[in-house]
Parts: sequence; structure tokens; C-alpha cells
Amino acid sequence: MPVDPWINWDWLSTHVHLFLAALQEHVTLTLIAVGVALAISLPLGVIAHRWHALRNPVLTVFGIFYTIPSIALFSLLVPYTGLGTLTAEIGLVGYAVLILVRNVVVGLEAVPADILDAANGMGYRPMVRLLRVELPLALPSIFAGIRIATVTTIGLVTITAVIGMGGLGELILEGLVNNFHTPLVVATVLSVVLALVADLTLAATQRLSLPWARTA
Amino acid sequence: MNWKLRPAYLATVVAVVIAIAACGGTAAPASKGTLTIAGFKFSEGSVLAQLYGQALIHDGYTVNFKLNLGTREVVGPAIKTGQVDLYIGYAATDLEYYNQAAGEASGDVTATTAKLNSRLQPLGLQALTPSSAQDQNGFAMTQANITKYKVTKLSDLTPIGNQLVLGAGPECQTRVFCQIGLEKTYGIKFKAFKALDTDGPLTRAALKNNDIQVGLVFTSDADLQSLGLVALEDDKHLQNADNVVPIVRTKVASAEVTKVLNAVSAGLTTADLIQLNAKVQIDHQDADAAVKAYLQAHNYFS
Amino acid sequence: MSTLANVLRWFLDPVHWSGSDGIPTRLVQHIQLSAECVLIGALIALPIGILLGHYGRFGNLAINVSNVGRAVPSFGILVIAFQIFGLGDLPIIISLTALAIPPMVTNSYVALREVDADIKEAARGMGYREFAQVLRVELPLAVPLIMAGVRTSAVQVVATATLAALIAGGGLGRYVIDGLDQQDYTKLFAGAILVALLALATELALAALERVLVPRGIRLLRAPKAQRATTFKVA
Repeated sequence: MPVDPWINWDWLSTHVHLFLAALQEHVTLTLIAVGVALAISLPLGVIAHRWHALRNPVLTVFGIFYTIPSIALFSLLVPYTGLGTLTAEIGLVGYAVLILVRNVVVGLEAVPADILDAANGMGYRPMVRLLRVELPLALPSIFAGIRIATVTTIGLVTITAVIGMGGLGELILEGLVNNFHTPLVVATVLSVVLALVADLTLAATQRLSLPWARTA
Repeated sequence: MNWKLRPAYLATVVAVVIAIAACGGTAAPASKGTLTIAGFKFSEGSVLAQLYGQALIHDGYTVNFKLNLGTREVVGPAIKTGQVDLYIGYAATDLEYYNQAAGEASGDVTATTAKLNSRLQPLGLQALTPSSAQDQNGFAMTQANITKYKVTKLSDLTPIGNQLVLGAGPECQTRVFCQIGLEKTYGIKFKAFKALDTDGPLTRAALKNNDIQVGLVFTSDADLQSLGLVALEDDKHLQNADNVVPIVRTKVASAEVTKVLNAVSAGLTTADLIQLNAKVQIDHQDADAAVKAYLQAHNYFS
Repeated sequence: MSTLANVLRWFLDPVHWSGSDGIPTRLVQHIQLSAECVLIGALIALPIGILLGHYGRFGNLAINVSNVGRAVPSFGILVIAFQIFGLGDLPIIISLTALAIPPMVTNSYVALREVDADIKEAARGMGYREFAQVLRVELPLAVPLIMAGVRTSAVQVVATATLAALIAGGGLGRYVIDGLDQQDYTKLFAGAILVALLALATELALAALERVLVPRGIRLLRAPKAQRATTFKVA
């Protein structure tokens, strides 16, 4: 049997298109998941913050959801939502929402009481106060959540390969089934690189958009 | 930091990200239609899916591949619900899947396929003309163990079953041509069953480590000899007519599609299949490259 | 719902409570695997994080190692480990331990950094030498956050150990993977429930351990933060 190096550069140079296609699918799945999760988490977080009674139940329910291994969740959804993007996204959005909701709530809770008082004193109505004062001040925490959610989602997308989706996960699976090192190693490394690039990009975006919050 | 440029920076970042996600969708030339082909989760599954898929692509169809999708237990529901249009099956095993292990399969491929079609028809599926190429379950042991236990055929295992561990994919435990058949036809009661993979690297590693003494392989595997594995003779003919046969949703089985698929089936022999497997399993060639070379050489692309 | 009824029936079936594929066996395998990985990981991660935090060195590294850890696809690591080490527990333990280390390093680093500088100075002034200071002053104050890191790791190791079944591992993941391959959704669901329950039990057990480890005085001093360790999910 021919020796199987960990990265066969010859093979790699003729198969770049495979990795580009996988990367594209990976990025798309991640963007949709984080985007939808953000759209859900912002209102949900605001509601959980506003109605104190809901805070712990909401966080607890999602916390339990979090303990379900993703491979089980994706597999269980298949009979209902099929083998495709929808199933993957439902799972991915679910996990991302927990991270984001928590950070939205914690961010809103961290707004100092005197600022809220000042805003009320200035005549801001609750909705306007939320949009113009509380949420902007909660942005550092929300951004931190977006970073964590994005990196986490990129990792979880690889697991969707088990239900026939999966971007880079598909190449990992192929490496396993065919006992072939290169696609496996390169896909794993690319997944890490993608996650780190995403994290750095989001960190840079955070610095650019929140100049007043340049602490950490 | 020039504050006036800040929105510009943000907009650039967002635009780049969206561009990455969106790019790559070049306009395809007008195609005759789109089909989704599923492949089983072992290397021959990808080979067969690519074989028929590339023939369709050459004929002008757009094909989506869902390779390494899983066992038949996963692929079956997928085609029944229309999420895939086509998969390449094996006549006898497929029959026993769709008839809930009723035991209707035989060594006669024509009869088996006819019965298979009668089971598929109410599901909106059909089996096309089977190929002469066959791939059946094989049960392999290492050369060392064969010498140690002095066995050549499966019925030799009957008296010593309780000393041996069987390894295969989890689905083997419920399959008529797998553990159930070994018990019923040969009377072999294994000491234990280890869930590994379907004819994959986990099974081979387990055989090598002697974690299992008997492992499921396929009769068309090309790498058995080089790994020192020998498949035992199926002297009581547990395995049946597992001829390669495309299973397709009737809705997409147009005359043209059927013609292309049947042409491939007609020309494929077991030796061809083993050769293709060798290229993929041993030389690590891509399945699509290997099958394209094969199709070219056999004038399917003329 | 008939699915839930089937799952309930699965749990009530005595066949599933005995034998090598029975719930007790699989549970023990899963717990053993997870415990080994968290323990070994803690033995490596905690000293590193504590030392770095005490001396205040390599802070960026300590904090970012969690980012990197989160970025590593557990599925990929397990398969690579199988291709390097073959079958058995070794590749699984190596992979899961590697995944367990980052949150514990980061949390213990931050925990030690957060100890009030005044307290450290006071300890110095009272004559505590380096090692005694860490052991008797800083650590007790740092325990809550350190334990949060251990809890995060442990819960994630329990969940990720499910994937070990993809490389012929045992544990509760077998129900999930076998259920998927056999399309036995009852088994799959049951496996998912068992893993989730085990993860919750792990969290509660470690929270109880934390209460034992934190001196009463400090527990009264610090308002308990709702530290559900959940921002590290890799499987």
C-alpha cells in the first residue's frame, strides 16, 4: 500500500475546489445560524430581562437544551424536518440562542441603575430607552456572545456531516470512511482557522463599532 | 481613527463576508433535470453513486450527491420521503429490507428483482435492470486466526462461535444476511457483537488488533489480500443475489434516465467493480476520477 | 405522543438494563471515560492556569486558549486520533482531555487574577511565602471560578464523549450512533436523554463539590453568581 502522509500536497493542490466548496457551505450555514439566533435572542433576552420571573426559566430551559449532544439533536430532527439545511439550522440556532440570550440578559443587567434613572429623568419612554440607552450599553456583552456563538457554531457545523450536510465535516467523514489522512487533517485545520479568523474579525468589528467600550 | 470612515470599514467587513457566502454560484448551462443520488457510508457506496451519477452528468443532468449518508436504514426513509431520488442498491439485501426480512430473496437475480419491484411499487419506487456485478456480505478473519482455529468455511465456525467476537456496523445485528442469518442458517452463536462500521477502517483495525475475530467485509473489496484478511466460504449459501441495482423514484425515472442507468448496469461486471474499488481503497484515487476514467475507457462517453 | 410512549417503554424494558449493551454498563463506561478525561485534564490545566494567574504572566495566551479550544472541531480530532492511535480508549481519552483543558486553564487564570491585590499584599505582609500564599489565601478565594471551569469542562466532556461511538467507543453514545445507523429512534432518543441527564447530574455534583471546597466564610462573602458553565460547547 502506498504510504499515506498526513498531508499529501499533490492531492491537495488538485483538490482545492473541494475545500473551497466545503468552506462556502460551512460559512453559509454559520451565518444563517448566528443571524437567526441573534434575531431571536435580542427580543427574547429583552423580554427575559424585563419580566424578572421569566429570566431563570428561560435560561434554565435553554441550559438543558445545551446538554443534549448535538449529534443526537440533529439525528432526532431528521424524521420531522428531513436531511437538509433546515434540520442543521434548527439545531445550530438552538445552541447559538442559549449563548446569545445569556449575554443579552447579562449585558442588560449590567447597565448601571443611575443611567436608567437619568434616562427616565430625561423623559425617555421605555421602548426608546431600551433602544437608545440600554441596548447600546449592553453591546459589549452581546458582541462577546456573538463571538462565542460564531466560533461554537463553526465547530458544531462539522457534526452535521452525520446527517448528510456539513461543509468541512463532510471531508472529515470522507477521511474516516476511506481511511485517508489528507482531507481529514486539512478540513480540521481549516475549521480551526475559519473559527479563529471569524473571531478576530468580530473582535475587530467590535473595536470599530464600540469605541467607548475598549476595555478588554 | 477617522470616525467618518468607521461605517465604511464596517460595511466592507459585512460585504466581504456575504461575498464569501454567496460566491461560487456560477450559472449552469441548461440541464435536463436535477437528481439527488445517495451513497452508502462505505467506500464502494461512493464509487457506485459516482459511477451512475457521472454517467447522468455526462448525459446533461444536474446531479447532487449525498455521499456517506448512512446505512440502508437511513437511505431507505430518505428515498421514500423524496429527499433523495436514487441510490444504488443490492437486489437481495434491498428486498429483505423492504419486505421486513420476510425471507423472499434467492440466488435467482431475476426473481429477486421482480419481488423487489413488487415491494417497491406501492412506495413509488422502482428497481431498474440489475447488473451482473455482485457484491455480497463476506465474513473475514485474519490469516493468523484462520490457521489458529483451522477454518476455511463458515460452517466451521458453528462449534467455536462462543469463542469468537463478531464485528460489523450496528445494522448487522438486525439483518437477515448478517448476524441473524449466521445464527439461523449456520447456527453460529457469537460470544459477543462489537458495533464498528460497515466494511470500513474500524472493522479492519479491530480485526488487526484481534478485538474481533470475525468481521463483516464485502466480496468486492479490493484490499483484503493486502491486509492479510480472508473471507470464509459461504458454503450454506446464506448470501443471495446481491446484484448491483439502481433504486429510483418512479417520478424521476424517465425513459432517458432509465436508459442511461441501465446502460451502466449492463456493462458493469464484478471484476470492474473490484478494480474500481482498488483504485479508490488502495490508491486513494477520487471516486469520481476513477469512475470517469472507467466510463471513458468503456465508451459510455462516446 | 407515541414517540415518548415508546421511549418510556424502552426504559421500562428489563432487557435494556442488563448485559454489555445495557444501561448500567454503558453508563459506567461513559462516566469512567468522562471522569478520566476531566481528571487528567484538571491535573494538567489547573496548575498551569493557577501559576499563570498567580504570577500574572501570559494572560493573553491563557484567555485565548479557550477561544482556540472552542474552535477545534471535536469530530475531526476524534477521527485524527483514531488514525494515529487506532482503536480503543487511548485516542478517545487523548481527544477528550485535549478538549477539556482550555476552559479550565482560562477559568483558573482569571480566578487567580481576580483575587484582590490588597489581600495578596496583606498576606505578604503577614509573612506568607509564595507557595503558602497561593495555597491558603488565593486558592480558597479562587475556588468558585476554578470550579466553574471544571464544571464547564466536565459537562462538555460528557456531551462530547457521545461522539466517541463514531470511532467504536462505548458509553451512552452507542445508543445514539447505533440508533441512528439502525434508524431506531427510540434508542436514539433514550440515549440523548441519558446523556443530557448525566450532564445535568455532573453539573449538580460538581456544584455540590464546590460548596464543600469553598470555606464557609468566603461563601458568605461572595454573592453566588449564576454561574451555569455553558459557554463552551464543542459537541
